[in-house]
Amino acid sequence: MLRNRGRLRMGLIRRIVDTRTVACPLAAALLSLSGGAEALDSSTIDWQLHGFASQGFTYTTSNQVFGASRGGSLDFTEIGVNGSVRLLPNLLFSAQGLFRNAGGSDREDFRLDFAQVDYNGTFLDSALTLGLRAGRVKIPFGLYNDTRDVVWTRPSVILPQSVYYDTLGLRQAMISADGGLLYSRYNWGDHRFNLEFMVAEPQDDTGDATGFLTGRLDASGRMEGRPLFLGRAVYEWMGGRARAMFSVVDLDRDFNSGAPGLESGKIQALYPLFSLQYNAERWSLTAEYGWVNTRRSGFGDVPVETTSEGFYVQGEYRLSEDWSAVLRYDVFHADRDDRSGRSLARRNNQPRHRFYARDLAVGLRWEFVSNWMVAAEYHNVDGTAWLSPHDNSDLLKGGGDPHWDLFSLMVSFRF
Amino acid sequence: MAGEPGPRVFSADGRADSLSADTLREIFFMRLTSWPDGTPIRVFVLPDKHPLHVRFSKEILGVYPFQLRAAWDRLVFSGTGLIPHVVETIGEMRERVRVTPGGIGYVEK
Repeated sequence: MLRNRGRLRMGLIRRIVDTRTVACPLAAALLSLSGGAEALDSSTIDWQLHGFASQGFTYTTSNQVFGASRGGSLDFTEIGVNGSVRLLPNLLFSAQGLFRNAGGSDREDFRLDFAQVDYNGTFLDSALTLGLRAGRVKIPFGLYNDTRDVVWTRPSVILPQSVYYDTLGLRQAMISADGGLLYSRYNWGDHRFNLEFMVAEPQDDTGDATGFLTGRLDASGRMEGRPLFLGRAVYEWMGGRARAMFSVVDLDRDFNSGAPGLESGKIQALYPLFSLQYNAERWSLTAEYGWVNTRRSGFGDVPVETTSEGFYVQGEYRLSEDWSAVLRYDVFHADRDDRSGRSLARRNNQPRHRFYARDLAVGLRWEFVSNWMVAAEYHNVDGTAWLSPHDNSDLLKGGGDPHWDLFSLMVSFRF
Repeated sequence: MAGEPGPRVFSADGRADSLSADTLREIFFMRLTSWPDGTPIRVFVLPDKHPLHVRFSKEILGVYPFQLRAAWDRLVFSGTGLIPHVVETIGEMRERVRVTPGGIGYVEK
């Protein structure tokens, strides 16, 4: 075995030099930074380092998304670096740091995205896996949530906003949470069943989650109460050729006011989501439907209960190995019993378009060099329900344009 | 396609020769991480667009290369697994798998 060491070293050096990203020496250096398997004895620790950097440009005809987009905004940046270390075949440590800027809707800059330990065991001749993940853990919700900040794993630059809020404050509480997650996988021929159950402290004191949950913008105070519960059941056929999923989040939090004149209260939210996907060689069809039932009590008011709903249907087409296109129709209703927004508008003394959003989007992406992509898309939107009040102060004064267009462009590199 | 040698699974000690398609799928999707004797499984693949990788994905695993890439991306960016080592040539694949304990990849028949 030892006599191979020299030749292997040469192979490794050649691999670094051959790397197609010599345009970016740093990237080439980073690309070579995964090790372990080069080593020659089985006791070696395997580790990997990966990351991504994405820069977006957003232009809107009216209203604002990710900064002052009416004049064109560059306030959409996503940069992440992560490392994973496998100490034993079934023991993995991993962490990711994330920098994100998304205009008024995300002003946190750097954050610890996840830092977790994952341990599992296999049973029944490897057909069954049982595992535990603990630490700051990504929230497994629907098809895209757990890696939603990486454009490579999204179908489009801007995710369907009816399900994956990016401009609304709740986003911060949906990304990752501090706690534990039990998971199980069972394989039976071409079929795979996956169950996850999570108990974790949501990050609802960060970003504008508190404001979103209490319905009072810039509410100052603390969120407490029991941790969130989350469950997800996944069925996959043929490595994900077909996929069906049910996810549900159950949130029950107490808001303790930190400001005079602002009452404390309780927020209970239940968010179920159904997901379906079919992947053929050239095309993929995806749909997700969910609703958020929110009950607010206390706040010196009578309890208020509403149920919003979100739904989208999406087609993707792979034109070649490097080009793909996406077409999607995405609908959000703030109250599914009042889809026109008429009675909500009357009750809240706001225009109707604040309570729905219908978004028709078409996009194109091109991987122009290995691990580099550019994605462009156009959205025609009717309604302003998912716009950030931080980027659109006129919305709070009854303004905002119900009919608007959005153009988005993103360049991304991954290693 | 006819006349071109097809892909076959390759492991140094032949321990992958009798594996079923669904076990191989679990291995190349990076969900099965150790051999029955406890050795870590170390997976090698050719680049996504390499003809042999495309054929291996479709003919042996019964999936499309984009499915593998999407699954690997999800593992990497949610911190829930490692991804295969990419080698550039079939020669390099043969060599790396041969000298890596627990190594598995694929070569031409």
